[in-house]
Amino acid sequence: MHEGKLREYHVFSGATRLFHWVTVAAVGVLFFTGLYIGDPFFIGAQGIEPTAAVKRVFSMEMMRLYHFVAGYLLLASCILRVYGWLISKGDRLLPRFWTRHYWEGLADTTLHYLFLRPQHRPYLRNSLARTSYLAVYVMLLIQLLTGFALYVMINPTSLAARILGPLNHLLYGEYFVHLIHHYVSWFIVLFAIVHIYMATRADWMEKGGEVSGIISGVKFYREQPEDLDDLK
Amino acid sequence: MIESKHSGETLWALLKRRAVSRRDFLKTCAALTGMLGLPPAALPAVVAAAETKPLPPVIWLHGHECTGCDEAFIRSQKPLASDIVLNLISLEDMEVLGAAAGEALERHHHEIIAKYPGKYLLLFEGAVPTADGGVSCMVGGKPIAAKLRAAAQNAAAVVAVGSCAAWGGIQAARPNPTGSVAVSEIVGSRPLINVPGCPPIPEVLTGTVMHYVLFGMPPLDSKRRPLQFFGNRIHDTCYRRAFFDSGMFVENFDDKGAKAGWCLYKVGCRGPVAYNQCGSMRWWNGLSYPIQSGAPCVACAADNFWDTDPFHQRLPNISLPNTIATADTIGLVAAGATLAGVTAHGLLSVAQHRRHKEKDRREGEQNE
Repeated sequence: MHEGKLREYHVFSGATRLFHWVTVAAVGVLFFTGLYIGDPFFIGAQGIEPTAAVKRVFSMEMMRLYHFVAGYLLLASCILRVYGWLISKGDRLLPRFWTRHYWEGLADTTLHYLFLRPQHRPYLRNSLARTSYLAVYVMLLIQLLTGFALYVMINPTSLAARILGPLNHLLYGEYFVHLIHHYVSWFIVLFAIVHIYMATRADWMEKGGEVSGIISGVKFYREQPEDLDDLK
Repeated sequence: MIESKHSGETLWALLKRRAVSRRDFLKTCAALTGMLGLPPAALPAVVAAAETKPLPPVIWLHGHECTGCDEAFIRSQKPLASDIVLNLISLEDMEVLGAAAGEALERHHHEIIAKYPGKYLLLFEGAVPTADGGVSCMVGGKPIAAKLRAAAQNAAAVVAVGSCAAWGGIQAARPNPTGSVAVSEIVGSRPLINVPGCPPIPEVLTGTVMHYVLFGMPPLDSKRRPLQFFGNRIHDTCYRRAFFDSGMFVENFDDKGAKAGWCLYKVGCRGPVAYNQCGSMRWWNGLSYPIQSGAPCVACAADNFWDTDPFHQRLPNISLPNTIATADTIGLVAAGATLAGVTAHGLLSVAQHRRHKEKDRREGEQNE
């Protein structure tokens, strides 16, 4: 297994790498400001003049501003991700459910994570990882849709509110949209925990530059990765 | 029965007949303009409409409801409810204000429908039960759904009065044993205006009716609510908004924030999801509204608001055996469990990886 020269493969395009890091920053800001908006727990502003809202960095007014700015950033980065998918062959959005290779890879990786196989075969992106990214794209989409559906209602007669506002009624009422938005944000955090662990573990076990890959775009393999076709 | 014999007459003709001066008529029109949320420049249009538009006969039916909307309506201050009933509209048929009852009222109901087909305005209050053939609400020996369907067929327009009529209300709250639905699901494609609220602000209801009388259908939003009354969130018109923006919240109903009148968001105020006029028109001649009296808004005009309990908490409780938790508690526990899980998995991975490498090394030695 250690024979063969270490070869580099350009896995992630610039668009995807930028998407990844902008999303990391945006989700981080969104989660913590969102927690505050959902249930304000800082009491720093107690007893302060109410007109001081815009001057205090942790006032509700400012927290909402950070949340909305980060929301727009997340939207922009998701658009960038779709752009990357369009221009770069390697930046696939969906796992290829319809191929035999996907299911074999899924079984292989799952058995490895269950400690039933000491190692899995070399993949650029394994099937399990690809599936979890699809789940996170779906969650981000839900957050963007529900988030903007709530946000546009600050002006209920605007064009955006006419387009997205009805979503609030479709989902059982605007209050429930707040709840959906809140619950899904926690699932994204759970994904992040597992994701960071898995990437670190893969880097340590396979020495393929998994973690640096999302900065440099390059991963290293001695054996030819099974899903090399993805890059072509 | 309160029967105002002026269906088909204009407001101006009616007031003239009652010896009201032209000056008072114009004052009435100015008050109407303000109430409808129209700009002062619209006054000539209101006067012109009041001079030419015939007042439609109005039928007000009651379904699965508590009469709370009527209680609110008869406290309408501007205009007075008595003025509306006797002067502004011709309320031909209404169970709870009618002097007649029983067969006499039923007969009158059918007469009005036969006399003014396609001309009368149908106000409907309460939800419409549909389970078990609609037996949960029977009027005159028939399910109210049948009566509503028949009356709506020839109505010029239908106004759903109150949250029950607009959304289903408390009857349609989980688990909805009577299968109650909103009026919109019964009347199909008939022109419909929703005036939700539990109860609706009386001036909002009368304003909507007057807008219809003078100018036809008011501009509606996607849920068929009149935009001039339901176009803003209470949160965005609330006089306590500055406290929200500054992060100054009532934590308990007996703390200094509650005394000082700070924002009620943390004690469950639903102002951010409530579309109504409470913040600007208020109740009882503009005297007050729930938030002003220190009670968090429950978004009584929102659909399915009964299912958003507990009302005095921002996040609802999630029922788990032997505990009370909100989304954040569960989220924290889940995040902790995930962290513990990946740590354990990591330790096991290290052990397995070492063993595997050791085996590799030994096999390599044997091969040499």
